[in-house]
Amino acid sequence: MLTPLLVGIAFGAALERAGLGNARKLTGQFYLTDFTVFKVMFTAMVTAMLGLFWLGRLGIVDVQAVYVPDTALASQILGGLVFGAGFAIAGLCPGTSCVAAASGRGDGVAAAVGMFSGMLAAGLAFPWLAPLYEYHVRGAWTLPDLLRISSGAIVFGIVLVALFGFAVAERLERRA
Amino acid sequence: MNAARARWPLAGVAILLGAGAAIVGNPRPRQRAAIDVRTLAAEVARESDHVSAIQLAEWIKAAKPGLQVLDVRSAREYETYHIPTARSMPLETLVTTTFDPDATLVLYSEGGGHAAQAWVLLRALGYRNVFALKGGLDDWLEDVMHPVQQTDVTRYFGAVSRKPGDAPLTVETLRRHGC
Repeated sequence: MLTPLLVGIAFGAALERAGLGNARKLTGQFYLTDFTVFKVMFTAMVTAMLGLFWLGRLGIVDVQAVYVPDTALASQILGGLVFGAGFAIAGLCPGTSCVAAASGRGDGVAAAVGMFSGMLAAGLAFPWLAPLYEYHVRGAWTLPDLLRISSGAIVFGIVLVALFGFAVAERLERRA
Repeated sequence: MNAARARWPLAGVAILLGAGAAIVGNPRPRQRAAIDVRTLAAEVARESDHVSAIQLAEWIKAAKPGLQVLDVRSAREYETYHIPTARSMPLETLVTTTFDPDATLVLYSEGGGHAAQAWVLLRALGYRNVFALKGGLDDWLEDVMHPVQQTDVTRYFGAVSRKPGDAPLTVETLRRHGC
């Protein structure tokens, strides 16, 4: 119980420190005027990816024990659209709404309450939603399997895409 | 160092780690196989390197903690028939798969030859609790699935009693029974 709590607090602190408790900053992402979300998320991905890869290589972490969720394109695309719409309307995502609520912002409290009631409603409606969840589940798709190249090459490719993305983002921000 | 100046070294570190990843290829530790031939020879001589079909059947029935039954035959043979709870694990896959170091790994092949070779490979990779099924799938079919005298264990696996003069049970006959 203690470890998840500590990790959660650290995650929240990092989000707040990055300024992601602020809905204005988050919605700036959708209007391409503020790329903080993109930069924070991509930095986190690259850090975690490189860390996992090398810790696995050094035998400290068992990479095979990392859970990879199943791919179900239809329900995941639909879920992504619902999530994105909520994100754009509230200006907050699940993690940042908790951060905003914790730092006393009214919109954060509203978004967090909405999120938990939505989770409850989806849970209660699960028997009706189940066919959507189970539609076309085809195991976990991963880039190395799909493209038939090594994980290491994918890792390098993503690092390059991230750095290129950061450069483009900075340029767009300067223009905005 | 302010944030703007810190990003160049950070980008450099990310590129270096990423390029290194592309070179080494996969995130699993490099396997260093080492064989202590004397220990292995002693285990083979003591016959502690294998289990009998009945023993394996008892382990499966009792859901022995950490038990993993591995079928080292081809995937197609596995599809046709395999020991209940077994995973398909052809030799090439076997040596690149990471197992729980404390797991009890039981290997089997058709007659036992490939399983015995797989036993050496897994022991060389450092797994301690590895066993080959003595007599392979042939013994499993004969002793567990088609015994002269039924026991709790054989009944559990839906065995057919063997009467004198019966032909030996084969994978094909089992298929016809619809198992």
